[in-house]
Formats: sequence, structure tokens, C-alpha cells
Amino acid sequence: MRKVHARSLGIGDRTVMRVIPLGELSHEWTPELQYLVPVADAQDAQELRQLCTGGLHNLYPLLSESLWETSWQNNAVVGDVTLLEAGDVVVSQPHRNEIQVQYRPSDDHHAIFLTNRCNSYCLMCSQPPTPQDDSWLVGEAIEILRHILPSPAVIGMTGGEPLLLGPKLREVFDITAELHPTSRIDLLTNGRLLANPDCVKQLLGQLRANVCWLVPLYGHADFLHDFVVQSHGAFHETLAGLLNLQSYEQAIQLRIVLIEPVLEILPQLCAFIGRNLPFVREVAIMGCEPIGFALANRAQCEMDLGNWHSELLAGISALDRAGIPCILMNTPLCTLPSALWRYAHRSISDWKRVYVGECEQCLVKDACGGLFAWQEKGWRPGAIVPIREVMTT
Amino acid sequence: MLTDAYPTTLYPFRFRRLAPDNIVAVSETGDHIFLNDSTLSDLVHRFANFSAPQIAELKSKFFLGPPGGTPGLRRLISSRIAAKHETVLSGPSLHIIVPTLQCAHSCRYCQVSRALDDEGHTMSMDDLDAACDTIFESRAQALTVEFQGGDPLLRFDLIRHAIERIQTRNIGEQRHLRFVVTSTLHQLTEEMCQFFKAHKVYLSTSIDGPEELHNRNRPLPGKDGYERTLKGMSLARRIIGVDAVAALVTVTRNSLEYAETIVDQYVDLKLHDIFLRPLSNYGFAVKNAHALSYSHAEFAAFYAQAFERVIYWNRQGYPLREVGASIALNKVLSTHDGGYVDLQSPSGAGLAAIVYNYDGFIYPSDEARMLAEMGDFGLRLGKIGQPLAQVLKSPVQRDLIQASLGRYVPGCDECAYRTYCGPDPVNTYGRFGTTRAPIYLTDHCQRQMWLFDYLFQKLHGEDEDFLNLAFEWAKPNGG
Repeated sequence: MRKVHARSLGIGDRTVMRVIPLGELSHEWTPELQYLVPVADAQDAQELRQLCTGGLHNLYPLLSESLWETSWQNNAVVGDVTLLEAGDVVVSQPHRNEIQVQYRPSDDHHAIFLTNRCNSYCLMCSQPPTPQDDSWLVGEAIEILRHILPSPAVIGMTGGEPLLLGPKLREVFDITAELHPTSRIDLLTNGRLLANPDCVKQLLGQLRANVCWLVPLYGHADFLHDFVVQSHGAFHETLAGLLNLQSYEQAIQLRIVLIEPVLEILPQLCAFIGRNLPFVREVAIMGCEPIGFALANRAQCEMDLGNWHSELLAGISALDRAGIPCILMNTPLCTLPSALWRYAHRSISDWKRVYVGECEQCLVKDACGGLFAWQEKGWRPGAIVPIREVMTT
Repeated sequence: MLTDAYPTTLYPFRFRRLAPDNIVAVSETGDHIFLNDSTLSDLVHRFANFSAPQIAELKSKFFLGPPGGTPGLRRLISSRIAAKHETVLSGPSLHIIVPTLQCAHSCRYCQVSRALDDEGHTMSMDDLDAACDTIFESRAQALTVEFQGGDPLLRFDLIRHAIERIQTRNIGEQRHLRFVVTSTLHQLTEEMCQFFKAHKVYLSTSIDGPEELHNRNRPLPGKDGYERTLKGMSLARRIIGVDAVAALVTVTRNSLEYAETIVDQYVDLKLHDIFLRPLSNYGFAVKNAHALSYSHAEFAAFYAQAFERVIYWNRQGYPLREVGASIALNKVLSTHDGGYVDLQSPSGAGLAAIVYNYDGFIYPSDEARMLAEMGDFGLRLGKIGQPLAQVLKSPVQRDLIQASLGRYVPGCDECAYRTYCGPDPVNTYGRFGTTRAPIYLTDHCQRQMWLFDYLFQKLHGEDEDFLNLAFEWAKPNGG
């Protein structure tokens, strides 16, 4: 997530606030939320002070260092006013001298982090799990949901493994359905705990929230998938979970991350999905991010997709034959055979996406999803070569 | 080894030799693999010696798995098996109404049709109304109502009456309805087309091949049957739409030397489906067997030649689908049953399709009502107007079900293709006078075994273009 350098003065750690222009306070203010109000000059400061002394205790100014010294000298966020946008939902981190931007309305993708705990230990995990109790995170997630306005089309929710939250996850769903009835939740989960019928009933019975379940699958046999997620028994649990989701008519996107043990069996895995899980809405096949455990397991995770075209073509052909839609993510066009360009998706969040020098001369740069920012430091998903000629058939 | 921590056992499967060293094996879920004598023996006796990729492949197709399964696996396998029976377990979806046996043709192989001046072979209005109402007693959400004959367009008044009655009833029922009229199209008028267009009625006709062959098979006094069918087809396409008419081929002895010409004819006519249907072995076709009939080997040679021609046209970029192969490929390659009445176990006769005949009786299939025309009423399920539930519980229907459970039928029980196929008890009855004859001696069995053998050999060839086509045809909506 984005972090902005700023001092939080007299504001508690991890206070969730919505950035709101002074002029909009009058018709949006409610006592349950916290507001961060950009203050441009002494006159704004004067106006805000009147509101505060008038009894609105949930307002904090966002102002520059000099303005704070001259006009406020009280609880405030002090930093560069221009780095935040109206509608941003931010969380204070006083001891780090920064605030986190947890939600920005103008972004294409939104993600809310629910837990850092996990019951799998994937070879290429981009967010290595921690064992500590972090149940405060879901409380903060609920606070963030309460501060979001207007409702986005899609809210991504991720972990860790959100199903470990048990009934708390249902609470997140219900609050989302209540506050953002038009939003779809994209929940990233390994689905293993959905093998338990009690868990499924508690989580899905009369569910109002519109959830799409993003579930990874890494093999067409137990020992293959279990190896990638480093958890014995995971394959059969995930299968049971997927079938339970289907029986509740839930939308499912399967996710396949392209590391070596997965690329080796991609055609067979896709054919398995076609035969056994034809009810999934979509399969997302994605390049591995050079981050987290992937850095430690570099030998299995650093792939030059240019060496795997026949597996990619055969895998996607198997999905096509089964009539299952497929998208490719985190795969720059120049690393793919051109026959697969039409599946490539501009999936990398705007603030994580970069293009490199080679891209400047590329004819298809505008259609390309680019690279993760950290691929500049880690490794690239293949040779980045400008496309200079586009064959049309 | 990676697989060591995974106790593994052999799950049931059946197999069949396609060629001296090529064996196809099929698991209970209907997944298939190709083996040779050595790998078959290894699978049975020492699968632990297989490589990890081989074990993964066998597990992913349910030839191997953990002893006793897991909750997830048990659910997956049972839902795969259940999906194969969706069509026969969700209530009759194909309802055939035969309003009249009148027909202008005098085809030599036809079992049933009567001359135009024959007044005795038309359904009563009361029976027609009762049939329309009975259709809604089916639990099936999607209902196809097909009008057959004779030539039902000779009594367009009855078709119109039935469709209007069914549509009116459907305002409350909200079923997904589809209508088909099977006809020579000779009597088709603009007014009929307007009505069909308004009510989403599709037309089905017979085109046996080039004009000379078609007219030889289907004599009319004016010798202009072909020309008049084509005229009807172009009228329907102009008013109803390009996809208004589907056609099928009845293969007679005369057709055998024209395999490619027949297929080309369908391309010329801009048709995208072709259904190469062998003659039934009963009815008038049996009486005229010497002149019309052919051996199974002769049909197989014809079919293979025609099939290659169909593939040829697809490679040229002209989409053309052979319906019989599509039905079989759906069974082999698709998880979801295509909803065809054929190749079901238990049989789709009665459970998936039902015929309301002009004579006031209900039959389990088209062939069954044709047997009645020959004087054998043994397959009557009941009278039109009886509750559907009662008809489906009749002794005849029970017998058809019991006789068509492949698992319990000698010959089918051990057959590699059992998950894809089913005995045809009506065909057996027509041939042997009982539903309990040795299935493996029926024409139905011979033909289907041959077709599955043929298609599996094609699938084994692993030509990517052919595989793409096969999967396309296999889709439940027929691609």
C-alpha cells in the first residue's frame, strides 16, 4: 500500500480517517467516523477550529509544517497536503512518521488486508505469513470499510488466509453488504477451511454480500499442489472447498501462479480444471512476483516465460476447449507468444506498475500490463524486448 | 519420492483394445487414457513404478487415488458421475406430438405414413389438448416440443392450436420452451413462417443428398420432392432466419457410394449440421431390406468416408458438425451431458423423451410408435390424458428402465464405453421381441462400439485441429 511521510501529532496509533475537503464536511459528517481535513491557509484553520470547539471531536487537520506552527499547534497530521486526495482512507502511524493510504477512490484496484496468518506456506508467497495473533487487523479493516465513500465496484480482500478469521469474516461480509451493497468483494483465499461444512454454513448461509472467491490451484494431483503450498492434504481440502462454494452458487476465479513446478504441468492442470471444475467463472494465470518467499525460493520462482510458450499455449487451449474463460496477469506482452496477447490483462495496480527503458520503443506498450515496480530490483518475468512489428492475422 | 507420503490404490476402470498395441481405458468418471499392453499391465500390477508425472495423470483421471478417497474427492467423483445422468433424471424434456400420419411421400423405408386422403390417422382435438397439458407435468425446466408425422404441416391447424395452447399455459409456468416441426416443408407457406417466427419454432427436414438420390429415396408422383423441400427451406430462411432449418440424412443402400457428394451437398446448401442416420432395422425398411439395407461394415465405410469429408470442410474454414459424432464426443469429452435422448443409461426412452401419438396413446420413443404401426403395441406406456407420473410408472416403462441399466446388462457391465453409452431397449425389442435379449448382438451396440472405437482412434492421433473440433462439438450446446 502507499505510504506518505507525515507526522501524526496527538493522534492515536492506527487511527482510521477519511480525507475530506472542509467544504464537504457539513453534509457528510457523522459522529461515528474520523475525518482528516486538508487545511490550506490560516482562514481554513480558523474555520476548522470553530467546528472543533463547537463539539465536533472527530476532525483532524492535515496541514503543512509552517501552517501548523503558525495557526494550529494541536492534534494534527503534519505533512505535504498535496500527497493525499479527497476520499482517501488513511491510517496513522505516529511512531513511523508516516500514514498509510489504505484506500484511494481514484485507483483501479482496491485491497483491504484482513490477516497475516496463514495455514499454507506457498513457495512463492508474496506476503509471508506471521504466526502472531493479529486479530486487530480485521477490526481495522471493518473501520476502513466504514470510512469508504463512495462504494467502489470491487473491493479486494486479502491476507494471509482470511478464512482463519472464522465468524469475523462473515462480519466483514455483512458490513460490506450493508454499507456497500453495490460492491463486489474479491476475496483471496486458499479455500481449505471451506472443506468444513460447519464453516461453510456459517460463512455462506443467507449471504447477502456479493463475493467472488479467488482460489489458487497448483496441481492436478494431490502431491503436486501440496508441494507448492507446502501443506500436506491441502489439495483435497481446496477441492472440497470449491465444491462447497459451487453448491452455494458462489462465483469462483481459480488462480495459477507460474513458478517452475506449476509451469511443468500447466497443460494437465488446465485440462483437469476443464473436466472437474467447469463451474468456475474464470481462470487467472499469473506471473510470479519477485517478492516474499519467491526471493528465497528463487530457483523455482524465477522463470523466463519465453522458455515456456508451449506449456502456456497448451494450458490455455485446454481451458478454451472446456469453454472456461482465462486471463493472463503480470505477463508483459513481449514475454508471451502473440497468439496469447488477447488473454493478457492489465492487472498490475496503477501504483505498482512500471515500464522500463526498453518499453519506450514498444508499439504495444499502451496495451501492455507492464512490470511490477519491484521487478526492477528482483528479476523480470522474461526478456523485455520492444515489440516493433505487429502481425495481424 | 514426492509421492511417497500419499497412500494410493487402484480405482475401477474398464478398457478396450483399439489396435494391436493401443488400448483405451476409461475410469468411472468417464476420463480416458491410452495405454499399451505393457503400461496396462503396469497399471494393474505395479503402478508404484510409474513416474510422478504418470501417477499425477492417473490420479487426475481417477484411475488412482487415496484408499477410501477424501471428502473432497468423494464429492467430486460422485458429482462427475451424477452429471452423466442429468438428462434422464430431470424429467422428460423432449415431447413429441404426432398430430397426423398423413404424408404426400411414399418412401420405401418409411414405417408409418399414410396417404393424404386417409382421414383415420389424425389426432383428436381432445387428445391434442390433453397432450399439451401433460407436457407441463414434467419437472424439466427446459422443454422441447417436436411435431412429427406423417408430415405435420398437412395439419398446420393442429400445430398452431397446440403451440398457442402451450404458450398460453407457459405464461404462468415460465418454462424454457423450444418448438420443432419435422416436415418435408412442401406445404410451407409465408403465413406459417410468420407464425413460426413469432413463436420461435425451428424446422427440421430430411435432405438425403443430391437431387437424384433424394428423389429416389423419397418418391413423389411429380418426382419433385427435392426441389420442393429446397423451396420450403429458402422460404423459411428468408422469413424466419438463416438458422431456421436443420436437416438430416437417412442413409440407404443407394447412398453408400455418395458419401462425399452428400456432405458437399450440405455445404452447398449452407447447412452447418449434418446428421448421418442409418436406417432403422424394422418397419417397412425390414420388408424392403433387400433393396434398401446394408451391412454394418458397409455403413461404417460410408460413415468414415463422409466423416473425413466433414473434417475436410472444417479445415477449409467451413464449420460443419456431424451430429451423431457430436453426441458421442459429448459423452467422452464433456463433463456435462448434452441433453441428447440417445446413449443414456437408463434409456432416455420415456425418461427423457415421450411421444404423444395420433392414435391416442403414449409411447417411449419414435421407434416404439412405429412398431405399433406394424401391429406390435407392446411398448405403449398409456393413454394420452393419463397423469405423466402414472405413465412413467407403467410396467412397460419400468421394464425399459431395468433393461437399460448398463451396470446390470450382460455385455454392457464390462464394456469400456459403459459410462458413455446405454443399451437401447426399444431397438432390442424391435429386433428380438423382448427388451432382455443379448445387447451385444444388437445393431445399436455394433454401431456405437464402432463409432466409439473410431472416434477414440481419431482422438489418439492428437492432431490439435481435430482435438479443437472434437471439444467444440462435445460442448453441451453442440458448439
